[in-house]
Amino acid sequence: MKKNRWKIILILISIAGTLWYLYPTYKDINYQKKLSQLRGEDSLKFVQENLDDIQKVRQKRIKLGLDLQGGMYVSLEVDIVKMLDNLAKNKDETFRQILAEVKKEALTSQEPVTSILLRKFQERGIRLSRYYGDIRQSDAEIISELEEQAEDAIDRALEVIRNRVDKYGVAEPSIQKQGNNRIVVELPGVKNREEVRQLLQSTAVLEFKLLKPADIAIKVMQSIDNYLAGKGVADTVDTTNVVTQKQDTTKTIAEELGADTSAGLSEFEKFKKEHPFFAYVRVDEGTGIGFVMARDKKMVDFILSRPDVKNLIPPDFEFVWSAKPFTAQDGNQYYNLLAVKKDPEITGKVITEARATIDPDNNSPIVIMRMNSEGAREWARITGANINKHIAIILDGTAYSWPVVRTKIVGGSSQIEGLDSPEEARLLEVVLKAGALPAPLEIIEERNVGPSLGEDSIQKGLKSAYLAFIIIALFMIVYYLTGGIVADLALVLNIAFILAVLAGFNATLTLPGIAGIILTIGVAVDANVLIYERIREELAIGRTLRSAIDEGYSKAFSAIFDSNVTTFLTALILYNFGSGPIQGFALTLMIGIIANLFSAVFITKVIYDIVADKYPTVVKFG
Amino acid sequence: MRFIGKTNIKFIEKRKIWYLVSLIVILVGLISIIFRGIPLGIDFLGGTEVIVRFEKPVAIGDVRSAIAQVGLAKSEIKIYGTHNEILIRTSEQAEGTKMGEMILSALQSNFPDNKITILNEEKVGPRIGAELRRKAFYTVLFSLIAMLIYIGLRFKPIYGLGAVAALFHDVLVTLGFCSIFSTVSYLNIEMNQSLLAAFLTLVGLSVNDTVVVFDRIRENLKLHKALDFISIVNKSINETLSRTIITSGTVIVVLLILLFVGSEVTRGFAFALTIGIITGTYSSIYIASAIVVDFTLARQRKAEKEKLLKKQPVSAK
Repeated sequence: MKKNRWKIILILISIAGTLWYLYPTYKDINYQKKLSQLRGEDSLKFVQENLDDIQKVRQKRIKLGLDLQGGMYVSLEVDIVKMLDNLAKNKDETFRQILAEVKKEALTSQEPVTSILLRKFQERGIRLSRYYGDIRQSDAEIISELEEQAEDAIDRALEVIRNRVDKYGVAEPSIQKQGNNRIVVELPGVKNREEVRQLLQSTAVLEFKLLKPADIAIKVMQSIDNYLAGKGVADTVDTTNVVTQKQDTTKTIAEELGADTSAGLSEFEKFKKEHPFFAYVRVDEGTGIGFVMARDKKMVDFILSRPDVKNLIPPDFEFVWSAKPFTAQDGNQYYNLLAVKKDPEITGKVITEARATIDPDNNSPIVIMRMNSEGAREWARITGANINKHIAIILDGTAYSWPVVRTKIVGGSSQIEGLDSPEEARLLEVVLKAGALPAPLEIIEERNVGPSLGEDSIQKGLKSAYLAFIIIALFMIVYYLTGGIVADLALVLNIAFILAVLAGFNATLTLPGIAGIILTIGVAVDANVLIYERIREELAIGRTLRSAIDEGYSKAFSAIFDSNVTTFLTALILYNFGSGPIQGFALTLMIGIIANLFSAVFITKVIYDIVADKYPTVVKFG
Repeated sequence: MRFIGKTNIKFIEKRKIWYLVSLIVILVGLISIIFRGIPLGIDFLGGTEVIVRFEKPVAIGDVRSAIAQVGLAKSEIKIYGTHNEILIRTSEQAEGTKMGEMILSALQSNFPDNKITILNEEKVGPRIGAELRRKAFYTVLFSLIAMLIYIGLRFKPIYGLGAVAALFHDVLVTLGFCSIFSTVSYLNIEMNQSLLAAFLTLVGLSVNDTVVVFDRIRENLKLHKALDFISIVNKSINETLSRTIITSGTVIVVLLILLFVGSEVTRGFAFALTIGIITGTYSSIYIASAIVVDFTLARQRKAEKEKLLKKQPVSAK
């Protein structure tokens, strides 16, 4: 008992940890059940009330793969052929012919498109500078520039897609860059496939929109607030006064919310009744820009999308969100809500260049933006007429920056300052380019799983898992008597460990993953079978129970270890090869192997150490 | 309870017969692979695949003629799961992903009073298919090399060779069975990522049995120095036989459950693994161990010959 003290502590800790990691999944299932019973506004209210907890358990639960919950998997590549077409100048018949050949070859070849292009040009003895870059540039220079463009294009596309998917409101989307020119998007639960394709492939729209003056913005928000509170529309109260007062109240309320006292909550409830809009949106008086806590964004969206509320918003007026939340001093994440003029001053098509760089004067990150001559003329007029006003840079309806116009900008070269970090500058560069140089994306792989198929798969998967478990567990008991019970206990722990590790590492459970767990049920008992058969042999040659157990464990170990390593190795190779679902399988298999060594060998040995000493008559191996 | 008591089967002595049996099975499989092949899934082939569910059962011929109307006469159409669910696959690639909608509208207009829903739709570009084929080949190759190295290091190089020979055998036999049974539509056998996963898992699991036998040989070699190699191998196989049968049995039971109760998607996977486990158990004895025996005996004979050659000049003096 004494020598096993640390082992027992380790086992208890691991079991406690398992329960800790599995609890959010259990809670999440309960929330989902509850939510499926509620409808419309009720469910939104329920979500609002329990938002923190729901989000917390959501993040920590076991995630289901697309194949189980249904949804869409799309792999996109920048259509480099199309990009080459867009970038070329003085296009003629020869060029079109070459490009058609490149397109045909690129379809099946592994060779980079740019090098196919170069080859085709060289075959014909034409220099690339005829269509691209500068007349003085060599082919190699132009090719490397084109390659750079292609790589740039993928970053632009990534930002555009991220922005749109965020706006589209898919829960737990996954958007990843894969390799140099591929983007993999996973959207669980999406039903309208055509819409998503549009979303992913349509050209980005970059617009410059003027912010509405603060007093007008506040007035509109005030009227929304009044209307929601049931006070009727358009009163002529001294708005500025009300807003200042409100600001103070919201501030204290936010503080009290942070402290989370029930008194604060009830005061908040009271405030919410009187000012249903300002309870969520805090307004900066000077600029008329709203601040909304990240968790309230959905609620505000919901309010603003109500048809009766929409009627209160003037026709030339529009609310847009900031693209990324920022962390305020109170530690909460906030989005900005901007009131802008609906019609854009100018669109991003006129931008010829955007570059993130460092201001040599004060070492702060800036972005330099250049426009073509037509754009420059317009830009001079716009900036001249709006000095000291904010102009928002809006990509696909989300604001990335809203710099203040300092002077009239003549000549088309503008400088955007006041950025917090080089990353922010780089992001702005990407955004500014996105409107001017579209990155044509091509869907190269798409998989859709209907929710009913996913549901079906889960049901069948669970059913076979239960059945497999029952049969194996019963067999072990019949064959090895009490030894079987111990082995079964190890099996239960093994499965629980796999699930807990999946939850703990934020991994995804896929259908092949379930197959992996089922397989583990079959394989996991192998370790115990090896040990028990060995113990039976040792008992047969006349050893005592105690020494037979020790011998059985120690002699069986090398075989157990080697056979687990080989399986682990193949699972590891499979993990590196596979895509989503297959990786899920390989992962559960790997976790299962490690969990198996721990539960079937380590834990059962401790159990025998204890039981064989105290109750030797109970210990039987059939 | 005990399935198998103490046995003393002379496995190794019969190895030549079993070499022949294995060879025949592999040959039959290879013939099937050459003439029938294993249908390539969309993962490797590229194209569009749609699984639709009809509210009421339909005849597959009607579906085919409906699909033919939109110019997809060459599509593969088969029952998926039940008679209400049908899989349609075409290698045609429409610009974008209009194919699914096209198929759905063609079906809907031909079966107006039957509600049709798309269960699953996949589109894989030709480049992805080619990429996957290359990757799949390397993956299987790497896993075999990894086994060769690991077992070679943990035991002796010869054992690594024996184990890998057994793995080749298992992969070939299973491929053959998959090809032969690919016409059974219930099994959903086609070469896709999930079948590939089955093959790799089979590599990992089937080497398990081999390792257990090898481990016992290693132990018995130390314990019984007087016994000849064949007896030691036989003894080791007999001693581990009970475990081999129980473990393989539990795994096969589980796989059969997965095959008959589990989802359609994992059926091909379960089938391939079932075959793989059975051959893996067999090959750990008759291929892996037998080859190690043949190698070792050959080397012993060679060593004895050299000994004799070396001794001769000495004795002549």
